[in-house]
Amino acid sequence: MLFANTNTMKQLYYDVKKCLGCRSCEIACAVAHSLAGELFSALREEKLSLPRKKVLPAGGKNYPLSCRHCQDAKCVEACMSGCLVYNKEKGIVEHDEPRCVGCWMCVMVCPFGAIRPNLIAKIPIRCDKCKDKDEPACLKACPTGAIIWQEEREK
Amino acid sequence: MTKQFIIIGNSAAGIAAAETIRQRDKESKIIMISDEDCPAYCRCMLSYYLAGEVKEKTLSYRPANFYQGNNVELLLNKKVARVDPKKNRVICEDKTQLGYDALLIATGARPKFPEVKGVKRTGVFGFRTIKDAQAISAQLPVTKTACILGGGLIGLKAAYALKKRNIEVKVIIKSPQVLSQMLDGQAAELVRKKLEEHGIEVLLGQDVLEIIGEGDVKAVKLDSGKAIGCTMVIVGKGVSPNIELIKDSEVRFNQGILADRFLKTNAGNIYAAGDACESFDLVSGEPGINALWPVAVEQGKIAGANMSGADLTYDGSLGMNSLEFFGLPVVSLAVYKVKQGDSACEELKIINPRENKYKKLILKNNRLLGAVLVGEIKNSGVYLRLIREKIDLSGFKDKLLEENFGYPVIKDALIERDTTYV
Ligand SMILES: Cc1cc2nc3c(=O)[nH]c(=O)nc-3n(C[C@H](O)[C@H](O)[C@H](O)COP(=O)(O)OP(=O)(O)OC[C@H]3O[C@@H](n4cnc5c(N)ncnc54)[C@H](O)[C@@H]3O)c2cc1C
Ligand code: SF4
Ligand code: SF4
Repeated sequence: MLFANTNTMKQLYYDVKKCLGCRSCEIACAVAHSLAGELFSALREEKLSLPRKKVLPAGGKNYPLSCRHCQDAKCVEACMSGCLVYNKEKGIVEHDEPRCVGCWMCVMVCPFGAIRPNLIAKIPIRCDKCKDKDEPACLKACPTGAIIWQEEREK
Repeated sequence: MTKQFIIIGNSAAGIAAAETIRQRDKESKIIMISDEDCPAYCRCMLSYYLAGEVKEKTLSYRPANFYQGNNVELLLNKKVARVDPKKNRVICEDKTQLGYDALLIATGARPKFPEVKGVKRTGVFGFRTIKDAQAISAQLPVTKTACILGGGLIGLKAAYALKKRNIEVKVIIKSPQVLSQMLDGQAAELVRKKLEEHGIEVLLGQDVLEIIGEGDVKAVKLDSGKAIGCTMVIVGKGVSPNIELIKDSEVRFNQGILADRFLKTNAGNIYAAGDACESFDLVSGEPGINALWPVAVEQGKIAGANMSGADLTYDGSLGMNSLEFFGLPVVSLAVYKVKQGDSACEELKIINPRENKYKKLILKNNRLLGAVLVGEIKNSGVYLRLIREKIDLSGFKDKLLEENFGYPVIKDALIERDTTYV
């Protein structure tokens, strides 16, 4: 297929044993989604770009948390404006931001807490797998290789 | 063998059902019938539309070629008068008759108007359809003050929209708090304050006795004896399901059309979904209607699958909602108030009125029954999951309201294994 991004069916996996909880991935994510795309200018942007993934501790380990792009996504079911849509070809849930009204129905139903409200920008934020790039920005940012980017694994 | 599927109602539940049927069955005929005159649009967005924040074309939530692309025949401006389960056909008001192999009734609901004098006067509106929104909007240039009857979701959304259009708004609420169907008193107070700060007047504990005027609305008279001058009244006092079409048939109904765990009614090959369908509440186990968009979509999907041969069971619905007024987000999940005298319930709370933050979780026997979140709503979906899946909280009860709480904390207690972490 022409123009097809061959990486899009890949998923993010995390090797929890390797994760230090240093949050380098969070920073890389926020920068990648800022207007400037570069840390120092990003920090000066009026609507501060927030990371779309979060590293959360549990039971003495660190768990990077990001959107799973569920095929039968609860957020898509709940989205009242129809701006969240599962794209079958690409295997991702896409967010048509200009249509979004910030009603937070998606936040209310995501079973992973992976879509979070940016209350200031009035828009929910969520990992988009850096869909316009070859690979997600967090991947290279991780100093220990705890982030794995590969084809879908057996369930 | 190709079949004929009929779906009455072209909204949340109907569209979800049509999509599901078409995914499973490429051949059969799908006919959707609606008494409205336009393709599907999102009802919940009507307040944003009335507020002027969203354009009419953004209201439709499926692409223009949706019906064609899915090979769905859409019949607009057509009202089904009755259903004849014995002959497997629907009879429309214009006398046309259509036969079906499986039928979905997804007729939704309509506003309930209070039985007070003057309720038929010009200037009294319900707020349910795009037509309602347009009629209200057309009246705004000559409106200075509007009274909203009812402090539920619809009433407050209407109030918000009119305020954005620079109308003076007074909300008249019978109960002693706003949003009494989804919040406790303390959380409701934060919402009330927010509305008042933005110039919406909220009158609590007062009911309307009469809508005064001669033809047109001039004022509303309250049970306190007070009268409020206004030329517009919007009624937001709940909805009643549109079920007249089955009332003379064998299809059983209570408040709504009664459906079993497969969302099937008692009559052969007739299913129900959405606001017109009375299934059961997941937490209480009792029959009931949670008239909500995500519930309608989920039910539509399941009913659609079962109509086309699947065997999916429905878990039941939950009362839940999310809204935001003037920057204050609010989420309510399932049980939001402890029943008086229920000593087995336990509440966990964080209250910070200065930052407009309020979080309350209601637990019973180490299970989460419900939650109210104001000001900070992250992780609501994780709480919802704990409620839905009735997860045992003993391992992490003390962590539920911690800053770092999130999905990883509950992961190991879930039934589903997570392959994301290696
Ligand atoms: C202003 C507003 C705001 C809302 N906000 C929220 C919100 O924030 N969150 C939330 O969860 N929910 C919200 N809701 C509720 C939500 O819109 C409903 O739960 C949802 O639309 C139900 O979908 P449904 O498919 O069951 O029925 P409906 O959307 O009611 O659609 C039923 C359709 O069937 C048609 N019909 C009825 N009878 C017949 C007949 N005999 N013949 C032919 N056609 C017929 C009706 O005209 C209608 O088009 C809101 C509703 C309104 C009005
Ligand atoms: S936001 Fe949540 S529900 Fe939606 S696709 Fe991502 S993980 Fe799934
Ligand atoms: S906040 Fe936006 S993306 Fe989320 S449900 Fe509402 S409209 Fe859809």
